[in-house]
Amino acid sequence: MNGAQHILDAFHRHHISTVFGYPGGCIMPLYDALVDDVGVEHVLCRHEQACALAADGYARASGKLGVCIATSGPGATNLITGVANAHRDSIPMLVITGQVPSGLIGTDAFQETDVLGMTLGIVKHSYLIDDADTLPAIMEEAMELAQRGRPGPVWIDVPKDLLLTEVSDAPFPRQGPQDAFCPDLAEALTMLRAARKPILYSGGGISLAQAEDSFRAFAEASALPAVVTLKGIGNPGKHNPYNLGMLGMHGSRAANKAVDECDLLLVIGARLDDRATGKLDGFAPNAKTIHIDADAAEINKLRPADLAIRGDLNDILNTLTGTLQDKPLAISDWQKQCQTWHTTGGFKAADNEEPLAPITGPAFVRQLSRIAPDDTVIACDVGQHQMWVAQHYEFDHPRHHLTSGGLGTMGFGLPAAIGAQFADRNSTVINVTGDGSFMMNAQELATIRRYNLPVKLIVMDNQCLGMVRQQQELFYDNRESQINLDDNPDFVAMARAFDIPALHIERTDQIRRGIETILAFNGPMLLHVAISREENVWPIVKPGASNREMIDETRRTTNKEHVA
Amino acid sequence: MNPQSQPSTPSYKINCRMSQEAAALERLCQVVRIRGFRIATMAVESTGEHLDITLTLEGTRPIAMLQSQLEKLHTVAEVALGQTSVVRSQTA
Ligand SMILES: Cc1ncc(C[n+]2csc(CCOP(=O)(O)OP(=O)(O)O)c2C)c(N)n1
Repeated sequence: MNGAQHILDAFHRHHISTVFGYPGGCIMPLYDALVDDVGVEHVLCRHEQACALAADGYARASGKLGVCIATSGPGATNLITGVANAHRDSIPMLVITGQVPSGLIGTDAFQETDVLGMTLGIVKHSYLIDDADTLPAIMEEAMELAQRGRPGPVWIDVPKDLLLTEVSDAPFPRQGPQDAFCPDLAEALTMLRAARKPILYSGGGISLAQAEDSFRAFAEASALPAVVTLKGIGNPGKHNPYNLGMLGMHGSRAANKAVDECDLLLVIGARLDDRATGKLDGFAPNAKTIHIDADAAEINKLRPADLAIRGDLNDILNTLTGTLQDKPLAISDWQKQCQTWHTTGGFKAADNEEPLAPITGPAFVRQLSRIAPDDTVIACDVGQHQMWVAQHYEFDHPRHHLTSGGLGTMGFGLPAAIGAQFADRNSTVINVTGDGSFMMNAQELATIRRYNLPVKLIVMDNQCLGMVRQQQELFYDNRESQINLDDNPDFVAMARAFDIPALHIERTDQIRRGIETILAFNGPMLLHVAISREENVWPIVKPGASNREMIDETRRTTNKEHVA
Repeated sequence: MNPQSQPSTPSYKINCRMSQEAAALERLCQVVRIRGFRIATMAVESTGEHLDITLTLEGTRPIAMLQSQLEKLHTVAEVALGQTSVVRSQTA
């Protein structure tokens, strides 16, 4: 077996059934090995960035390892945005690239780039293979490492000659089991019981640890008022009466208010990112912090924790749940207070009763949330539409919401939807995108067509880079700069050119039929939704300001008042 | 600029043991830089499977943050914090 065959064999043995890639010179031995039936489906995207983002979407939706493959030089550099995206959101990913033959490394050979050096900052770990006999052990280690603890992308760069070299089939050393680690939770429970106004603050770490069920059980047993970060949306479940929704820059007044007033912040699987906390100085000023995470380096990074607990989130949550089931927390006044805030200061959008009125983003997303089946996966792009989905779509599971959180990568949505559809061919997958983001990976319409994926595309077209326009309006004296997209192509005709049917809507009374039509269609379909150019996402906290200083729609002035 | 107006920067000594691999030193230096420290001195000794690296670093951020980030590197076996030296004054 040569190196290339070994790589495919390792995929097969590890039940990796789908990989996303694009061929080229130095990776050709791997593509040659793919010609033989190896039990691995290779998905050809139309740009390496999309390969990486599709592998990312596949991993987010399924919880499994995402795999992407590219050639050296431009293939590898095209992957970088997608791999950085996975790195910032801790997505388990394996990246394989071909490299110029060993003897040519360092000679500026055709399509040589220093992939190892170039990618150090966006990988959990990386390898440049210099001896074919190390490949088997490195493959094993890389796959394990990408998924262990806090997951992340691991990159293996393999010179072409080593892909062709026979590898020894000697058994490779196996990683020993991870040291079991059970932290003492007594102090956490004492602090929880002593708190009068505790808040449960969770993020993307819950689904990364595959702790969705334990978290939900804990949220129910504790009945703690719960706020979530962008990546934690769905953690508490949509029917949890104490779910206050997203906090932060575009969070709800209720969520930010509850955090502002709380006396204990129980942070689980979240890293206190600036988009969530606003200015750290003023964040949860009266609260003690218990910080629970799988990654020790996240604890005390931005806000000192009064109690730091590193460990396996499933174990920790199950232990806490058991104790609280026996003796619930006595916080009924606080629960009521939070619910009142949620009623008065939660996300709201009146359904426009005027049938001929133009469509607004929030109203559209609320209808979508009502009409789409329960297990629908929404893959967002980046911008205002992403925030409207985060605010107004009611997610019942974090894996149903695929969004580029840490990197904020425009162009993520379409390839991520492709990956999610490969993860489950029967699920409903919808890419909600903006007219700017859509054009960043629009070539992937060809991938949807080629594999006949029933992905639904919703382009919320405001004829501009809406999120940037909004900030220019609010924080740059309305001096618009390079945000105009009123010369967009005809998206309906464009979809049809890829043999994907498409529909255009622009009035409120067309929303329901538009959504129902694309969902009922047996195959991919695009819905082009014309919305107003001037619409903004509310509320908003100015970047760098405190979450207390939310600006809202009615008064575009700094509002420091309480919501109650 | 008048050197006396510069704030003094704490300096630290760190010993780090890494396994030998192609990009070991680059990985280490990159994390040090990105997490806000400047390398003042660096000594590297190769001992069989390992690299032993001694660094003197300057920076105003908490050194514990850097330590936990270095410990996360897959090839880092051990990070030991030496004695923190007296706050170094730029006026000397
Ligand atoms: C690759 C990339 N380039 C630039 C940005 C900066 N950016 C953030 S949102 C945004 C506008 C997005 O426009 P669109 O996709 O039309 O969505 P809208 O905000 O209008 O809903 C831009 C340019 C980014 N996040 N990603």
